[in-house]
Amino acid sequence: MTERDVVIRLLLGLIVVVFAFAVIRALAPARTVLAGAALAAGAVALVALNPAALANVEFWAGLVGFAAILSALMIVIHPNPMVSVLFLIVNLFCVALFYLILNAQFLAAIQIIIYAGAIMVLFLFVVMLLNLKAEEGLTARGGGPQRIGAVILGGLFAGLLFDAIRDRGPQPYFEPGSFASGFGTARELGGLLFTRYLFAFEAASLLLIAAMIGAVILAKRRLR
Amino acid sequence: MDPAVARVLVESTVKIALFFFVVLTVIAYMTWVERRVSAWIQDRRGPNRVGPFGLLQPLADGIKFLFKESIVPPHVYRPVYLLAPALIFIPSMVTLSVVPIGPAVSLFGWNIALQVADVDNGILVILAFASMGVYGIALAGWSSQNKYSLMGGLRSSAQLISYELAMGITVVGVLMVTGSLRLNDIVTHQIEHGWNVLYQLPGFLIFLTAAFAETNRLPFDLPEAETELVAGYHTEYSGMRFSMFYMAEYANMITGSALAATLYFGGYHVPGLHALGLSEPLAAAVQVLAFCSKVAFFLFVFVWVRWTLPRFRYDQLMNLGWKALLPISLLHLLWVSFLVLTGRG
Repeated sequence: MTERDVVIRLLLGLIVVVFAFAVIRALAPARTVLAGAALAAGAVALVALNPAALANVEFWAGLVGFAAILSALMIVIHPNPMVSVLFLIVNLFCVALFYLILNAQFLAAIQIIIYAGAIMVLFLFVVMLLNLKAEEGLTARGGGPQRIGAVILGGLFAGLLFDAIRDRGPQPYFEPGSFASGFGTARELGGLLFTRYLFAFEAASLLLIAAMIGAVILAKRRLR
Repeated sequence: MDPAVARVLVESTVKIALFFFVVLTVIAYMTWVERRVSAWIQDRRGPNRVGPFGLLQPLADGIKFLFKESIVPPHVYRPVYLLAPALIFIPSMVTLSVVPIGPAVSLFGWNIALQVADVDNGILVILAFASMGVYGIALAGWSSQNKYSLMGGLRSSAQLISYELAMGITVVGVLMVTGSLRLNDIVTHQIEHGWNVLYQLPGFLIFLTAAFAETNRLPFDLPEAETELVAGYHTEYSGMRFSMFYMAEYANMITGSALAATLYFGGYHVPGLHALGLSEPLAAAVQVLAFCSKVAFFLFVFVWVRWTLPRFRYDQLMNLGWKALLPISLLHLLWVSFLVLTGRG
């Protein structure tokens, strides 16, 4: 890992922490001081326990993973659809950070441009214009069969998770220094896309164009 | 801790602190410049009471904003309402942090790059965070629960999305001649082959127009058109939160100017500096000064245009974005790729 990588990761980690604080502050203004103190104490404790952790990729991966899970939960739990959209944006940022941790810097930037920058703006528009109120009906319970189904499916998923984690052990998922130089840069990725995967790339672009024209025609048919 | 990591930590912390201090000071003084220049254009005097030439006016304004009561109207959606001013301010600062303000210099035995973050995907980071700016405005408009604010927020989102396209496509022209997404490489390329504006003048003009639209300034200030929308998306804001919107506007202006200077006007390049034979630190200082004066020039253009041109109508704005700028930028891209293919880029 070069020095530049350390800086970039530190900066992005800092952005995540600041954003998490802003979200907590916004959601529970009365507990702002408490939340700030807890975050600061946690950060100081972590650094005091292991100063080298700041330069450790897995430390940041863990932090981002925590933020990703928290925001994913909030998307589902929060009663206000607008806030759910905001947490989805946070979640997409976390995914971009994961890409960055895996040295896929081009993909990280594209993730933010396409998903957080374009698609989510569309989501935001739709939710804003529909003017949904906080959904109170969402907490309504289903009948007996639904509950039994939920328990069975939840149990299966928990078993799957347990099995996946059990045999992991402490070995890392990847070696931070094992990437070839230039891995994940725009140059490398562009080279692959326009040589080895040229056909797939062009086919995908054709598909997108067809979808776009189709959407326009479907939307405009009623106007004629 | 590893000394190399510790060094990087100290260096970046100092850079970030300096960066914030400088940018916030420039923002404060841009309000003064804006008022003085507008007064000059309209044959008035402008603020001239606080300090010599009114130079302490920004300070007085800052104190006033801090001590004003910050009212949160009861009908707003509080969490998002409080978050929006920050969301509008952060992206422009992040964008600015990847811009190089000078060549790397050796100071106290350290080799220091004169930019906060030297990112390989510099251009992509800029495009990514430029598209984040829309959230602050749209959310401010929505959370205010006020029809004028909502209209302002919607207009602004539509406007930003429309002009981002033209901006992104023109920037691709710069990438194609450079062959790199790094801003340092773009500047180096211009030092070796001449400024991009000489070869891509139409691209530069489209970029500048889009930059005006991205900052929501006249003639593109539809989101806050006071004659139609009261004050648009910041109608319900007061005190320091209101001033955050203003600071964000000026931060966006600085970002736009810095990008125009870096992408099209050679960044920190001074033609013929080598011939003078200055020592390395002195040459670097001259180059930083050159970059600052280029940015200052574009900032002046921003103010100049605002007090010269009237506001567009909304349909004119959309027509200009989609039916003029987008096709022209595509044609321009075609032309640039033709030049690159024939080796004349």
